[in-house]
Amino acid sequence: MLAVYKKEMRQAFTSIFGYIFLTFLLALFGIYTYIYNLKLGYASFAYAVSSVSTFFLFLVPMLTMRCLSEEKKQKTDQLVFTSPVSITGIILGKYLALVSILFFAVVIVSAYPFVLSKYGSVNMKVAYSNLGAFFFLGCAYLAIGMFLSALTESQIVAAITTIIVILFTLLADVMKDMIPSDHSISVIVIAVLILILVVISFVMMRNIILSVVLAVAGFGVMIGTYISKPALYDGFLTKLLGWFSLVSRFEDFQYGLFDPTAFVYYFSITVLFVFLTIQAIKKRRWS
Amino acid sequence: MIEVKNLVKRYGSFAAVDDLSFTVEDGEILGFLGPNGAGKSTTMNMITGYISATEGDVIIDGYNMFDEPEKAKQCIGYLPEIPPVYPDMRVREYLGFVAALRKVPKKDRKSEIDRVMGLARVEHMQKKLIKHLSKGYRQRVGLAQALLGNPKVIILDEPTVGLDPMQISWMREFIRSLAKEHTVILSSHILFEVNAVCDRVLIINHGKKIVLDTPEQIIRTIGGTEGIYVAARADKSRVDEVIAKVEGIQTIREERAPEEGVYACSVFPKPDCDIRETLFRALAQADLPVLEMRSETKTLEEVFITLTGEEGTC
Repeated sequence: MLAVYKKEMRQAFTSIFGYIFLTFLLALFGIYTYIYNLKLGYASFAYAVSSVSTFFLFLVPMLTMRCLSEEKKQKTDQLVFTSPVSITGIILGKYLALVSILFFAVVIVSAYPFVLSKYGSVNMKVAYSNLGAFFFLGCAYLAIGMFLSALTESQIVAAITTIIVILFTLLADVMKDMIPSDHSISVIVIAVLILILVVISFVMMRNIILSVVLAVAGFGVMIGTYISKPALYDGFLTKLLGWFSLVSRFEDFQYGLFDPTAFVYYFSITVLFVFLTIQAIKKRRWS
Repeated sequence: MIEVKNLVKRYGSFAAVDDLSFTVEDGEILGFLGPNGAGKSTTMNMITGYISATEGDVIIDGYNMFDEPEKAKQCIGYLPEIPPVYPDMRVREYLGFVAALRKVPKKDRKSEIDRVMGLARVEHMQKKLIKHLSKGYRQRVGLAQALLGNPKVIILDEPTVGLDPMQISWMREFIRSLAKEHTVILSSHILFEVNAVCDRVLIINHGKKIVLDTPEQIIRTIGGTEGIYVAARADKSRVDEVIAKVEGIQTIREERAPEEGVYACSVFPKPDCDIRETLFRALAQADLPVLEMRSETKTLEEVFITLTGEEGTC
């Protein structure tokens, strides 16, 4: 694991990507701190942090797009996965390297509130819990990016899918406030979701009976609950989108609320996608 | 050292490797032969644990690859078809990474890297970026990588593809020298190479084992009738007349004349007939000057075509 970690770190900083990532991230922090805290004179460091966090959209794929796709394309995965290191060890090594680069940037940025406090009063608790949340949000995105890079051989595809997924999590927050909350639309969306699930299960397992059973059960439960308790469907879509909204949990920190459930949420997303990456690689060995 | 038991790899309904079993003894070089798409690389990828098997077992030095992959993998050095090198790393840096990955103890790493660079003759390239190396040198770096940590088993997938003749002959010598301390599996579709290097040959086609034996034995059993090539300075009719009188001859086939005024032919005896001496005496008595006379054995090439061509579905 350590060997992979070291190699990834070295590769990040012998290629241009590590430097671009750090430069870009630090430049953004510089610009936003200047605008909000120095120019506009806001007392909270949180505005800068939250503004920079939207740029994960481009920053994360920059780091993750090569992570596993390039190994597959260059056939170096034949070396890595025939070495006496477990797949879990290899993936963790890679992931920790990604996280370390982000951590490095966050450590540098964590000096900013100190500097600012020389010139005015800074709410340190808000500033640092924001930076902490920023880091964990980044960790979750990095895990998602790594997972998507495990699914393809092409860096470009990995980068684009990562951008789309992160964009979705950003938009989910906006969309959830705009969609109507009455239950008929919720039902339609759920019906579509069940259909997609059934189609996926059929494509993957080629078992028509199983798919039909799944469809009947899915729609049965849906119609059943709709008749008996339609209130359940009120605001369902809003809730559903809310689950995907990584950013909305971040916003609470802006107002100085320290929300441990947000950390749990980010941590769960991280663990889930690291786990999925390991499974994706293991599955590739089987098919 | 290596035991492969009923190995099967299925992709959907297509069987890339179909019930393959063989063993490789300590210090042996096994040549793995088959036409393109016969399942050579798939089998090697399973032996090295890169992909899993649908059924069957691979046992390396007593460790089952699918139950104790880390221990089994520790015994193997693998050079895949395309050398698994990182283009943006330097040679020494790359070998350092592989040494760490293969768990070579830290204190031995430097000397171990020097050792394999010496063996693969890449010392003078150690500071170069791999992307600036030629195909031949990349292959050597890949070879150096497979030797790191002195693994008991070395698996080479088409190690001479893309090398120049000098490098090929060096590579063959080198593989032979490996057999003193290592067990080697080598895949190839160049038969001459397998013949020159390997102790035993495993021929597969469509994922199935066709034959496993020494190259000489394969040629002897499957080679069929051996012809005798004769070239004499005389007329065709005269030579044919003399040869026809020799006992135990089945057929005569005319060959291309090596020079003006010389007639050449291949004489095929009946099974279990040694006609070499009688043929010589017959020609000598007739006062026909024999310029050349030699036994023709089938080459491994021909044997290979006979063996794999019969099923020729693709």
